[in-house]
Formats: sequence, structure tokens, C-alpha cells
Amino acid sequence: MYRLLSIWLCVGLSSMAFAQDSFRIEGSVLNANTLQPIEGANIVGKGFYSVSSSTGAFKIKNVAKGRYSLTVSHISYRPKTVEVEVGPNMEEVQILLSETTTTLEEVEVYGDYEQEKAKQLSTVSQSVSKAFLDQNRENSLMQTLKKIPGVSTITIGSGQSKPVIRGLGFNRVAVVQNGIKHEAQQWGNDHGLEIDQYGIEKIEIIKGPASLLYGSDAIAGVVDIQPSKIPFPNSFGGEVNVLAESNNDLLGVSAGVQGRKEKWYYRGRVTYRDYGDYKVPTDKINYENYIFELHDNHLRNTAGEEANASFSVGYVSDHIKSETFFSNVNAKNGFFANAHGLEVRSSDIDYDSSSRDVDLPFHKVNHFKVTNNTIVSGENHTLHFDLGYQNNLREEHSEPVPHGYMPKPSDSKERVFSKNTYSLNVKDSFKPHKKHDGVVGLNLEFQNNNIGGWGFLIPAYNRFAVGAFAYDQFEVNPDLHFMAGIRYDYGFIDTKAYFDWYPSTVNNADGSTSYIYLQRARDKTSTFANVSASAGLSYIHKNTTYKVNMGKSFRMPLPNELASDGVNYHMYRYEQGNLDLDPEESYQLDVDIDHTTPSMSVGVSPFVNLFDNYIYLNPTSNYYETLQIYEYTQSRVFRVGGEVRASTTLFKNLGLDASAEYVYSRQTSGPKKDFTIPFTPPLSGLVSANYQFKDFFFLSSPRLIADLRVTAAQNEIVPPEETTEGYQVLNMSLLADLDIFTKNPPVRLRVKLNNVFDTKYFDHTSFYRLIDVPEAGRNLSISLTMPF
Amino acid sequence: MKFTPKYFYFLFLALTIVSCSSDDGVGKDEEKPTISINYAEGFPQACEQLVRGETYTFRARVTDNMALASYSLDIHNNFDHHTHDDQAGDCDLEEKKDAVNPMIFIENYAIEDGVASYEINISLTIPEDVDTGDYHCSYSVTDETGWQSRTSVDIKIID
Repeated sequence: MYRLLSIWLCVGLSSMAFAQDSFRIEGSVLNANTLQPIEGANIVGKGFYSVSSSTGAFKIKNVAKGRYSLTVSHISYRPKTVEVEVGPNMEEVQILLSETTTTLEEVEVYGDYEQEKAKQLSTVSQSVSKAFLDQNRENSLMQTLKKIPGVSTITIGSGQSKPVIRGLGFNRVAVVQNGIKHEAQQWGNDHGLEIDQYGIEKIEIIKGPASLLYGSDAIAGVVDIQPSKIPFPNSFGGEVNVLAESNNDLLGVSAGVQGRKEKWYYRGRVTYRDYGDYKVPTDKINYENYIFELHDNHLRNTAGEEANASFSVGYVSDHIKSETFFSNVNAKNGFFANAHGLEVRSSDIDYDSSSRDVDLPFHKVNHFKVTNNTIVSGENHTLHFDLGYQNNLREEHSEPVPHGYMPKPSDSKERVFSKNTYSLNVKDSFKPHKKHDGVVGLNLEFQNNNIGGWGFLIPAYNRFAVGAFAYDQFEVNPDLHFMAGIRYDYGFIDTKAYFDWYPSTVNNADGSTSYIYLQRARDKTSTFANVSASAGLSYIHKNTTYKVNMGKSFRMPLPNELASDGVNYHMYRYEQGNLDLDPEESYQLDVDIDHTTPSMSVGVSPFVNLFDNYIYLNPTSNYYETLQIYEYTQSRVFRVGGEVRASTTLFKNLGLDASAEYVYSRQTSGPKKDFTIPFTPPLSGLVSANYQFKDFFFLSSPRLIADLRVTAAQNEIVPPEETTEGYQVLNMSLLADLDIFTKNPPVRLRVKLNNVFDTKYFDHTSFYRLIDVPEAGRNLSISLTMPF
Repeated sequence: MKFTPKYFYFLFLALTIVSCSSDDGVGKDEEKPTISINYAEGFPQACEQLVRGETYTFRARVTDNMALASYSLDIHNNFDHHTHDDQAGDCDLEEKKDAVNPMIFIENYAIEDGVASYEINISLTIPEDVDTGDYHCSYSVTDETGWQSRTSVDIKIID
């Protein structure tokens, strides 16, 4: 520990000394034929790199005097290498690239430099570009990312979803935005992720244990939404996106601008979406013995709206880059009216009079976030500071109904959660030796969660966590890299007592009857400490990259897992926490083999995973009053699975991609020994073909994409789940650029037809699956993106 | 350093074998218990009218493929028409009203010896002073594995 501290101090102090004789290379990348700027070209030199902006400009800082060769590449252009002389008074470099005839890959990952860097890391990760997000945009961020092998979602209606990586979700996947862990009520199963999916440039998805860098919760993986690139000097630009959808009559608009003088820059974005009840390909829903007739195939009361705004201001100079980001996401979503959770409800509300209004039950959520990311770069050290404050306010409203001994409440406010999270991350990247890249870091987080409303599920709590880590990447030779790291975490959860607001009837042993305000949660402080570690290697041999990684990750138990003691009427169960739960610990071995040539690519990424003490809500055979008792339990779990992927280009214009994902899970101890774990996704594959046409009228580079998702039945279930049949569903989309305004860059058009055959199918991990609600029916969406 | 990718293939092969070897979870209980009031002695039947002060025997038949564990009986008012039962046909509901002194019966019981078939038999007197009107009567049953089944029926309490 002392050594770590001394390294950290040493690093902190030494980074104050900055390089002196450094220069900058400035230039631009243009299309050789049209002289139009090329955005997103990678400029790579020895030890530095840059990416061209929408004006084609790039800049490389901190370059020592000398002669350098720059390799400039872009996916649609032939790469080019130029020599530059760096010194005082150097001129701007102009680089002209010629177009290649190869078509764009649909899943566009990484520029060359980043791709090379990613190959050297032993962690199994996938980078998602803005182009991928734009092309595949669905109603919520995670639904958009579902196309990535190994990533699935838990969806709630049409507008909300949560990430699942290789079958694990909720608090086992950390979502990170601008370096700060997104903290909301992740444990809840009836709401989604409160993040605006527009304006995101790059997402890094880690499919494996990543506690080493991200701390608790990153036990199954990380969805890391990275800060956007800095705009280029003296630039101004933006885009407006409009979206319309037929299935839920959605109208959405999102507009963003960004600009920069010399050193100061800013970005801003507003997004507004309003949608009606979504349609399912059935006119009635059969749940147990109940039949819900649907009006016009509309899933009653699933309309919603979302209004988001964000703004950031940044400063960049040779040694400092700092950006402060403010965002607010506000959403209101209705829940299906005929059943709230599993509870069948009748109501006087005339839900069918309008498919756009949101009646009870509904929830509204507001997520406010301020983050600051500051990077100070010295000669050998780069210091990263991430500072964050976020407030998540969520209210769940439903028609007040007496339940058990609870009389009819006076208002609709069933649950209120207000959570404040303060985060600080400090990280130093340095090069102790030319073959080593070292990183040391410290993460601090404090959460304060308050509750309200007449329904009790989790207690109020405070939670504090601190973690310190160090890792090193060792370059044996340019093709062989080792990586190893270790982390120590300490934290406590301080749960607050809670008593029912109404008395319950209790029959005493002596035959008398008492009326007691029952205690649901106790004042209790639980502390946790954990060591996590990771080690791996990457080996590049010609066109093949091999990776092996072994990691141990952990997760602090949640307050509901520790201290629940209440009735969840909507799920017809009594949830019982356990204060003696240990932190979850998981060991995972990951392998990734990727073979990529210019014409094809194949890859396989298997994993084996062991949980010593996986926490889940186990249905017991006992009752509390008349509700089945579910208790939080720990058991050993064995999991194995992985993804395979292949892609190729045929006849120059036809691209084919195929991928498949599978997870096998078994509990090897505990009351549900031999059963799987909840929400295990079934075997699933995606076959995708894209064809690039010749320009056609005003459509330039039109592409037609067909995605066929084939999913097997899920017969591996654990009580109280139901088996789910397999399905096939086809989605089609057409992408093209429209040259309408000659002065501006082309308008991007996307026409997407989801569920082409209006197939009735069930998603095993969808929230509404529990009440036998099928997935959304056919949906036509049209999206226009107008850059300026 | 010389590095042979051979080991990776071995590892991958090993993983494939591991992932393909199935354990079929012998003896794993994948069946829910059943619960029914749809037989001659089942009580109460849909739209049954129960008189205050009278004593009734609540009866339902429960079965399981392996071993039954517990059951519960819940009687609560439906004065606000908050839900409906899962039986065929609808009962006529009275006007909505507020509860003053509604009947609440919330009890659970164990089934001994892990039997696979059982008849619930609860003798219950409707108190003289409870509100009359629409009520719900819900049964539920669990097996030893933790699977549960429920059924509910609309009833009335009358004078």
C-alpha cells in the first residue's frame, strides 16, 4: 500500500514538469478529386496520432523537432504516407486522399491507430462508432447496441432498456459516461437507462470482468460511453436529426452544435421524443387465465415522452484539456395498464380514448449530471481527473389500492427514489520504461439514496466506496504484450431503518392480537473489502490476433439485497434481504482470436466464468401472509459461452456478416442447484447482408441492409420463469446520402423497417415477457440527419 | 521470444468440449404445482354469495409432480373494482364504495410430508360486523422447489 502511495505521489509531482522544445503539426485531409474535407481520417506517426475533424483539419501536439513520416488513412480512401519536417515556423500539411472502391463495413470499428492499440490489449472489448449508432439507432441506447454479439437487453416497453452482457445485467454491468459511473436505480427491473443516446461518438464495450479499472459492479462488463472528440480550432458545426416511427407514432428531434475558437470550445444538444402506445402483433393477451383484449393492437398506456438537454464547455491547450459537461435527461413512461408487474388491474381510466396520453401507472425520472474531465499531460505522465455529481430522481405512480393490511393510500405516489452520487477518479498514465506503460489510479464514490411514497422496496442508504489500482502493460516485442494489474477496494453501506406507515395485524403466541407498525429495514452498517486482479496477453501474428485474459472481479451487495424486508405486490412476492451476504466474486477466463484480412474477417471469443457467491432472489416454498417469500441467496455459479463472428465482402458491393452468441449457466450449489440463473438469454444468431447500389437520382451511395435474427428457444429456466419459444425476425434498412443543399454536406437518410413480417415473438429477457406480452410488431421509421 | 499459437487452439478445443458437455440436471423439478376449485366440492365457486355469520369450508385441490409445500388463502374486498378473477364468465359487481370495516383474511399453511396431492380444507366463519359487497378470494400453493400457482375467484358477502 505504501509503495502504491509513494508511486502515486512521485507521479503526481513529477508530472508538473513539462516538455519544453515541442512543436505542433497542423494540417488538413482532403478528397483528391473533389477537394472536399475528409472527416475521421487517422493520421498516425511514430508515437502520436490524430483524427481529422469535419473540416478535414487535424493537429498533433507535443512533437519534438525532427523529420517524421505520417500515415494517413480512412476507411473509404487509399492510405498515404507523407514526410514532414517538424520545427519552428512549419507550414500546414495538406494531404490528398483518393477514394477506394471497397464498400464501407457496416459495423465500423476503430481507426488504424486505435485498432492497433485495441489489438495489444488483452481485454475482450468492442468499440462502437457514431456511424454504427446512426445506422442502427433503435428506440433506446441498449436496443441499438443489441446487434453486437454478446450484448443483449432487458427491455421495458418500447422506449426503455437495460444492458445485459453475456447474460448478466442490472448492477453487474457498469455504465460509464465521461469516465463517471452512471448511478441510478439499476437494480429495478421496470425502467431503463437514463442516458440520451444522441450525441454519443464512441462507446467501448468490455465483455468480461473489468473491476480492475471500473471497481464494483463491472463484474460482467462495462458500457463505457467515451467523451466526444474536441472540435477543431475556429470551427463551428452541428446537426439536426428528425425521426418518425409508425409503430408507436414516435416523433423525435435531436439537435447538436459544437464550436471552438482557439482554446475554448463548447457543445450543446437538445433531444425531444414523444411517442404513443406501441403495437404488438396480437389482439389479445393471454396471461395465466386472464385475457386482455387489446384496442387496435395497442399495448395500453405504454406511451411516453423524453426531453433531454446537455451543454459542455471545454478548454484545451498544449498540456491541459478540461471539459465540464452538464446534462439533464427527463422522461415519463406509462406502464401497461392491464397488469402492473404480475398484478392484474381493472380501472375506470379510459385508456383507449387516446394512444398518446400517459395515465396511471407510470413512472417519471429525471437524471441530472455534471462531470468534469481534466487531462494534464507532461513529458512522461498524463494525469486524468474525472469529477462527477449526479442526481437521479425517480417516481413511480399507480392507482392507490388497499393491499393486505395496508389501507387505500391517499395519492398515487407509490415509490420515490432520490439518489445523489459524488464521484472522483484520479489516474496517472506513465512510461517508467520504454517497454512499459503503467497506470495507477484512485476511485472515490459516495451515494446517498432517499426514499418516499407508500410502497416500500428498498431502504434509504448511504454508500461509500474507495478503490486504488495499478497496472502495467509490457511490450515484449511489437507483437506480444503482457498486461497485469491489481486493485483494492473498501466500502460501506449504511442502511436506514424503515417502519410501515400502517399497522398490521399480528397474532401472538398467547392467542392475543396486536396491531403493529412493522419494521421493514434496520439501521445497519455493512463494510466490504475486496482485492481484484487481472492478467493477460495479446499476441499478433500476421493477420491474426490472439488474446487471453484472466480476471477476478467483484460487486458490493446492493441495499435491497442486504436489507429488503417488504412486500412487492406487483410481483406477488415478499422480498427478504440478507445482511450476511458477501460481496460477489467472479473469476473469468477470456480468449479472443481474430483473423482479419482485407476481404474477410472471422473471430471467436469464448469465456469460462465462475462465481463463488452469485446473489439472486430465490423463490422459497414458504409464505409471508399470503405472498410467496423470495429471499436473496448466494450460490456458486458456473458459466461458459462466447461469441463467433464472420464477415466478408462478395462482388465488391455485397457485404455479409454473421454472428452468434451463447451462454450456458448452472448453479452448482444452493437451493436452486442445477438450475440456470435468472434472465439467461437463449442461443441467438444474426445474419446481415448489405448491398451498395450505384447513385440513384438524388440518392448518393445508397445501401440496403437486411438483418435476420434467429433465436433458439430458451428451455433453461429457474423458478418463477417461463420457457420461451425460438423465433426469427427480419429487419431491413436503406441508408443513403441526399445531396439536396449543394452548399452543405449531404443529408443522411435512413429508412428502417423492423419486424418486416409482423412476427409475433417473445423475448426471454423482456420485462413484459412475464405477462406473455409479445415484442413490438412491424415498425417503419424514417430518420433524416442534416449536418451543417 | 518464440511464441506458438498452438496452445490457443488447445485451449479453444478444451473450451468447446466443456461448453458442449451437457448435464441434463437429473431430477431437476421444472413443473409448477396445480390448483383448482373446478370440481363439485371446490369452494367458493365464481360469484358465490356468502352470508355474514355463516361458517363455510373453503376447499381447493392442489397437486404437484413431486412434493407440495405450502398454501395460502387471501380474502379481501373489491369495493373499488381493482381487479377481476381468472374464472370463466363475469360476475355482476355492485356500485363502487369505500371500505369501512372490510373483511380481511390473510393466512398461510404448511402441507406436511411432501405429498403430491392434497385438498385444502379451511373452515371459516364470516364475521357479523364486516362490510357486505364484492370480495376476492385467492388461493396459492407452492411446491418444495419454489414454483407457485395461484387462482382467484370473485365472491360476495351478503346479509
